[in-house]
Amino acid sequence: MAAIELDGLAKYYGDVTALDGVDLTVEEGEIFGFLGPNGAGKSTTIDILLDFVRPSAGSATVLGMDAQARSERVRQRVGVLPEGYEVYGRLTGREHVEFVVESKGATETPADVLERVGIADAADRAAGGYSTGMRQRLLLGMALVGDPDLLILDEPSTGLDPAGVREIRRIVRGVAEEGNTVFFSSHILSQVEAVCDRVAILRQGQVVAVDSVEGLRDAAETEATLRVRTDGITDAAVAAVRGLEGVASVTRQGDEVVAGVADSAKTAVINALEDAGVAVVDFETEETSLEELFLSYTQGDAGARAEGPDTPAGEEVDG
Amino acid sequence: MTWVAVARKDFRDAVRSRALWALSAVFLLMAGGISVAYATVDEISGGAPSAAGLVFFVAGVIGTFVSLAAILACYRAVAGERDSGTIKVLLSLPHSRADVVLGKLFGRTAVLALPVVGTLVLGVLLGGALMGDVDVLATLLLAVVALLFTLAYVGIMVGLSAAAATTTRAATYTIGFFVVVELFWDVVVFGIAFAANGFSFRGVTDFPAWLYPVTQVPPSSSFVTSLSAVIPDAPTAAGGAGGMSPAQIDAFFATPWVGVVALAVWAVAPVGLGYLRFQRADL
Repeated sequence: MAAIELDGLAKYYGDVTALDGVDLTVEEGEIFGFLGPNGAGKSTTIDILLDFVRPSAGSATVLGMDAQARSERVRQRVGVLPEGYEVYGRLTGREHVEFVVESKGATETPADVLERVGIADAADRAAGGYSTGMRQRLLLGMALVGDPDLLILDEPSTGLDPAGVREIRRIVRGVAEEGNTVFFSSHILSQVEAVCDRVAILRQGQVVAVDSVEGLRDAAETEATLRVRTDGITDAAVAAVRGLEGVASVTRQGDEVVAGVADSAKTAVINALEDAGVAVVDFETEETSLEELFLSYTQGDAGARAEGPDTPAGEEVDG
Repeated sequence: MTWVAVARKDFRDAVRSRALWALSAVFLLMAGGISVAYATVDEISGGAPSAAGLVFFVAGVIGTFVSLAAILACYRAVAGERDSGTIKVLLSLPHSRADVVLGKLFGRTAVLALPVVGTLVLGVLLGGALMGDVDVLATLLLAVVALLFTLAYVGIMVGLSAAAATTTRAATYTIGFFVVVELFWDVVVFGIAFAANGFSFRGVTDFPAWLYPVTQVPPSSSFVTSLSAVIPDAPTAAGGAGGMSPAQIDAFFATPWVGVVALAVWAVAPVGLGYLRFQRADL
């Protein structure tokens, strides 16, 4: 049974498309990264999983249960760290945890929960006076009450110091080691990369890639930007390069040719230029980083990205 | 149904509102002052102060207090959580939206019950001590009806708050309700009478009988009318616009029990309708 199963999930707000036919399966026990820029539809997806928002089309299944029809049962078994870390300013940390324990019929003692996330000494202070980090720890402690089968983290690193980010990672790994699933939404690649088994990349309401972090890294390493300086370029030479296998994009910048190429195609590009009568003065290659790869998925033309990664979008000028 | 957990949480939260306690203090003083005046100033009591009459004077203070305090304590009840985002904490737990609305209704009713009972006890005891007489039955009945009235008003405000997507809209709805249904209902009643009479005016005594239930629409009117229905030998029976008295009307609905019915409807309908709207909303 999958922890999360999205099938053709769509959400429209009038003319605005928040989600546009998302299919996604998150297996039980994995740490799944849900990546995308702000506004890509990550929060809308989570809102549908928790029945805050009703889908316009398609369906969402959580732990084998329909996310709309059986929402209370779903939320009984899910822990959520919501976006924004809002707490009840007039209630103390202990009262927050007491409320969650009572709501879920759990057995934890509030003091233990607060101890676990390191804010036991602030247990009886009003949460309105907590720092961002403390509020986030409190909410994380609340999310872990009742040993949830699925932990949903919505942008958990926003506004956190490095220690807080490490703390999140430690807890996420602990949850996964117990065989539970973590659904980790973020717009920051490095946060997801450090902890997740697999990631989906969401862009303008569509999933543009689903892969393991290793798979993405491999894709990044096979991609490079080749920059060739010549003594004068002809249109025929550019066309010849564009026609080569393993060349994803070609851009002409003055006397330079900039090509997004697979590792294996670098020599072919140089040869093709020389065959076309262009003298190569110098050339250099730049490896594409995972970050650039992520940007290439989330910016520019989505259609091309669905096929496979290519050069960062910023370099695709008049190609 | 986990609404008890929501109610407990909501009580703890709302009971710490400083603004509510400031308003409560003002009305406690007012209740004390009014009951002393009733017991000692002949012009106020009509020369014959009675323990039952005092109950109605205290009820008047409670009526105004609850209508204002319910707005203050409840307009943000649901809409405020949507605005701040804490609704996502609340609803990430296994509560249905009905649990949320019910929890808010009973949590905040319990909060308001504290100053209401305080006002009632202070007013009745202070005046009673000066007159040397306390009507225990009437006081208990006042307590029961006042709590139903509080539930009704909290229901109206929680219902409006649940129907509103933002705090600003919730404020507009709740204050708008107060202005139209409490402050200017007399104008509405006279307007209806004027229109029903062919757009000419003949005076309160000529109001058609069917207008009587309309005068009982404001919850604070139906509160006072309910009291006169349940308290035996109530000295003042008229609540509502134009001072229409059911004693002067010959119709099956010409009874102060109309007030009880109106309170019951107010306690159920707005919060129910607000829930239906909240239930369908994308948060």
